[in-house]
Amino acid sequence: MSNTYAHPEVLVSTDWVKENLNNPNLRLVEIDVDTKAYDAGHIPGAIGFNWQTQLQDQVGRDIISQAEFEKLCSDSGISPEHTVICYGDNNNWFAAYGFWVFKVYGHRDVRLMNGGRVKWLNESDKPLTTDKPQWPAVTYRSPGVDASLRALLPEVMAAVSSGKYNLVDVRSPDEFTGKVIAPPGMSETAQRGGHIPGAKNVPWSTAVNPDGTFKSPDELRSIYLEQKGVDPKKDTIAYCRIGERSSHTWFVLKYLLGLNNVKNYDGSWTEYGNLVGAPIEKP
Amino acid sequence: MPEFSTETEQRSTGEARAGRSRGTDYSRRVFASVFDMLPNEDNPSPMVRINRLNPNANFQLFAKLEWLNPFGSVKDRAAWAMLRDLLERGEVGNGRGLVEPTSGNTGISLAAMAQAMGLRMRAVVPNKVPLEKKVLLKIVGAELDVLNDALCPAPGLGDGSINLAKTHAKASPHRYVMPNQYENPKNVEAHLHTTGPEIWRQTEGRVTHVFASLGTCGTVTGVSRFLRSKNPNIKVIAVQPSEGHDVPGLRNISQLDVSKLFDRSCIDEILEIDYELAYRRALDLCRAEGLIAGPSSGLILEGALRTVAQAGAGCGVMIFPDNIFKYVSSMIKHLPQLASETEA
Ligand SMILES: Cc1ncc(COP(=O)(O)O)c(C=O)c1O
Repeated sequence: MSNTYAHPEVLVSTDWVKENLNNPNLRLVEIDVDTKAYDAGHIPGAIGFNWQTQLQDQVGRDIISQAEFEKLCSDSGISPEHTVICYGDNNNWFAAYGFWVFKVYGHRDVRLMNGGRVKWLNESDKPLTTDKPQWPAVTYRSPGVDASLRALLPEVMAAVSSGKYNLVDVRSPDEFTGKVIAPPGMSETAQRGGHIPGAKNVPWSTAVNPDGTFKSPDELRSIYLEQKGVDPKKDTIAYCRIGERSSHTWFVLKYLLGLNNVKNYDGSWTEYGNLVGAPIEKP
Repeated sequence: MPEFSTETEQRSTGEARAGRSRGTDYSRRVFASVFDMLPNEDNPSPMVRINRLNPNANFQLFAKLEWLNPFGSVKDRAAWAMLRDLLERGEVGNGRGLVEPTSGNTGISLAAMAQAMGLRMRAVVPNKVPLEKKVLLKIVGAELDVLNDALCPAPGLGDGSINLAKTHAKASPHRYVMPNQYENPKNVEAHLHTTGPEIWRQTEGRVTHVFASLGTCGTVTGVSRFLRSKNPNIKVIAVQPSEGHDVPGLRNISQLDVSKLFDRSCIDEILEIDYELAYRRALDLCRAEGLIAGPSSGLILEGALRTVAQAGAGCGVMIFPDNIFKYVSSMIKHLPQLASETEA
């Protein structure tokens, strides 16, 4: 087994980003849950997206529509030909969610900056600015929705009854066992604690080193495939509480390990744990 | 009207230096500026003996009242040492002020000092900091960033407030320099040069035990290094709140990796104490000893009482970081009965 990721092109290093700061084919996008971080300082040229208000529908519970996504990219000066580099706070959770949304709407070349904003911040040769970029607006057209990346409830229910999927619960052990419904202080919760029957608990942080970068291909293979028993021959659904930590693991399973059919269940526990009559495992 | 001479002026005259016995230099307590009130060996924060709560008649237990420092907490010491260093190195001024991650006290000290010198100060605080401290930061003129830290980033990454403060310092270096109390050796030196020598002199070298809490660990590391240089047998006992705590200013061992000043070899024993006791013992201190101490002092008292109850003779000093006034909302949260019958 070679020690390379299955799709190494989707991951770029902070050094690579620094060398490409003036590359006109790039658009950097910082995606934060708390945009104070972007406002205080970001990578020169980076556009800032607010995960809650710009990537999610503001009325119904959903990701933004294709038309909204096209408008967001158009106004931000992102064209379908651009290589989009996502990075963000909280260990790239929200950047991974943004990456997923870009992929769902068929953006050809989107990548994640390994280690996120904290790694950049702590490297002395990496500049930050408070200047907001003014990229000229363009007209963005999405080729359409790639439904193969997203698990909706009916498929999750089918996965539970068939037992033919890997269900990967990336929440903390206390959320998995139902000791808590959400991490302390979080407002999005559910009526019930526990996990989807048959799910394996592999907390998202299992995939990263102390500096926030992803572990090596061999380490990831050993953790997910050997220790945790994710079966590469099966289809896989990753979930968490609201779908952002699971995007991070979805990225690992699909692009770094190269598993075949991996979906992010963005409804996650705040959908499943509220369903009347849904089977729950709680040890 | 004739002008008073101030302590600083008197101290600088040869007469004052030669003619006054130790400890009386500050007897009139008239100062040329608030900065001259900052504690040092000649102007120590007071120590008060614990009388009713101490179970061991052979063990003298003292509380060192850090809230009597001019900006209200033990953090006056670290703040002053870090700010003076930045001033000496020309790192502040010309529009450049400070940005600092803080649970409140360091920010309050730094902001008050900075404002008194005409410097800006930006404080980055986690949301769980009590409202009183956030408002105090604004009262003393700090720009305030409140951060939702509840998401708990992975271990090793530092916390959100440290990273946001670093971001300001890096992206706006013309406006901000970050003292960084979690890494700045001046934080330890402050206690090496003031708190430690004060305790040594105040106890006339009889101190056998020191009790402190762990935040940045500047206090415990600096005090321990000084006192052990005088007497290697002195026991340094640290308290930490149980996991999941909300005692402002303190860290559980699991949160200590951001505190680069933590030096385990400076500490004999770390006692983990149920964090609810921080609030209950603070109340005990107010009611039994008349000491208006805050929750971190309450936790320290609990650790000291456990040690004292099992010790023989000795002389212990507890470093009480701040007072209860900033924690009214926290006290109500933990002891809800305090809020009953407060309205007509
Ligand atoms: C209330 C309170 N108690 C205790 C401490 C801990 O002191 P140190 O940072 O020196 O460890 C602090 C400061 O961080 C504090 O604000």
